[in-house]
Amino acid sequence: MTSNSTPALDPPAVHRLPDAAYVRMTFVLRLGLGLALVILGGGIVAYLLANPGETSQSVLSSNPILGYLSVPGLGSGLAGGSIGAVLTLGLIVLVATPIVRVVSGLYYFRKVGERAMTAITFSVLVLLLLGLLVIGPHVR
Amino acid sequence: MVALWVSVELALFVVLLILVAVAAGLVGSLTGLGGGVVVIPLLIIFFGASVPIAIGTGFVTILATSSATGAAYVRDRLSDIRIGMFLEIATVPGALLGATATVFLTHANLESVLLIALGAVLFAIIPGSLARRHIELPEPQPQDARSRYLGLTGGYHDEALGKDVTYQGARTSPALGVMFGAGIVSGMFGIGGGVFKVLALERFLNLPMKVSTATSNFMIGVTAAAGAGVMLAAGYVNPIVAAPVAIGTAFGAFLGSRVLPGLRNRTVRLLFLPVIAALAIEMVLRGLGLP
Repeated sequence: MTSNSTPALDPPAVHRLPDAAYVRMTFVLRLGLGLALVILGGGIVAYLLANPGETSQSVLSSNPILGYLSVPGLGSGLAGGSIGAVLTLGLIVLVATPIVRVVSGLYYFRKVGERAMTAITFSVLVLLLLGLLVIGPHVR
Repeated sequence: MVALWVSVELALFVVLLILVAVAAGLVGSLTGLGGGVVVIPLLIIFFGASVPIAIGTGFVTILATSSATGAAYVRDRLSDIRIGMFLEIATVPGALLGATATVFLTHANLESVLLIALGAVLFAIIPGSLARRHIELPEPQPQDARSRYLGLTGGYHDEALGKDVTYQGARTSPALGVMFGAGIVSGMFGIGGGVFKVLALERFLNLPMKVSTATSNFMIGVTAAAGAGVMLAAGYVNPIVAAPVAIGTAFGAFLGSRVLPGLRNRTVRLLFLPVIAALAIEMVLRGLGLP
């Protein structure tokens, strides 16, 4: 039995998730980022076209998404074709992308039967949702 | 009806934001910083953004960088998903705490405190980085019990060194502590905490520099998502600033991720230190109200 204080001399065994996990996470990150950038890019072009009188200073002193930070507000804004709502959706997709990656990790750790890593990943997910759904709205 | 003309001044503002963000994304992905440390001071100094709006945009920068580079690093097996997930249990609560603190400091009109604190945080990591700048690969260290239990080991093929490299996580307890601090820093300042993540991954977990950088990039997205949720809900993410920055950063980060696998660790580290020093000085001066 190797002592805790003895450095390992042999190369360590490499623990790695199935290749499918890496492929899926790569896909999730690319899809999420691509979707967010398309929405945000389209939104910013539409904003420029729809607001020819705006300046950089007026943009910096206001925020066009403040009315769309709730689910009902975002839903009605998107239904009404609001550019602010579209930009809000793009930001939400961007924020959600790493969270979906955590969900993907949870799936694969559970699939290979790693209880400890499954519990750790699940805890991370719970904390993220707690921040988004409870702490964030509360401090506003 | 959509107007036929745009504001030339605002269009130039957007284009400049994209160009700055491309540079930030490139630097951020090469160093593991996430790009926020470049974008935030530039937004404040050259674009006239308020401190909380700059911090909110910093989160967007981090999210774009992490997703862009994280995808490439995960595909190339440079990011260690297992170690990243394990350490996120410390960074996420730290980020929630930090972002909440920033909102309260902003409400209390203490933005200068945020700037000085950011400068101090950046200064704090410079000496240690200088001391280790000649280390290409770390000397092997024994795994602790937690690392063995969770199987915190890995390997990759190093193109620059031309050989397969294996590694194992060492001191997990101090690494978790540093990661909690990194989470607080990320949540407070929108910089991703990559500065501390890379150092913790190298010094405590004893991982090779490339794995540390790639795993840091992989982790900062989750940390940033925690902080960004708070700042977005509080109204401190302005999409007219954030959207061009996200687009530019993602492009720059993608370029950086294509360059990293062919670089030697020393090159990455030499890129890392001047960025930290310059931004630390700038933040303190701004916080003190000096030109």
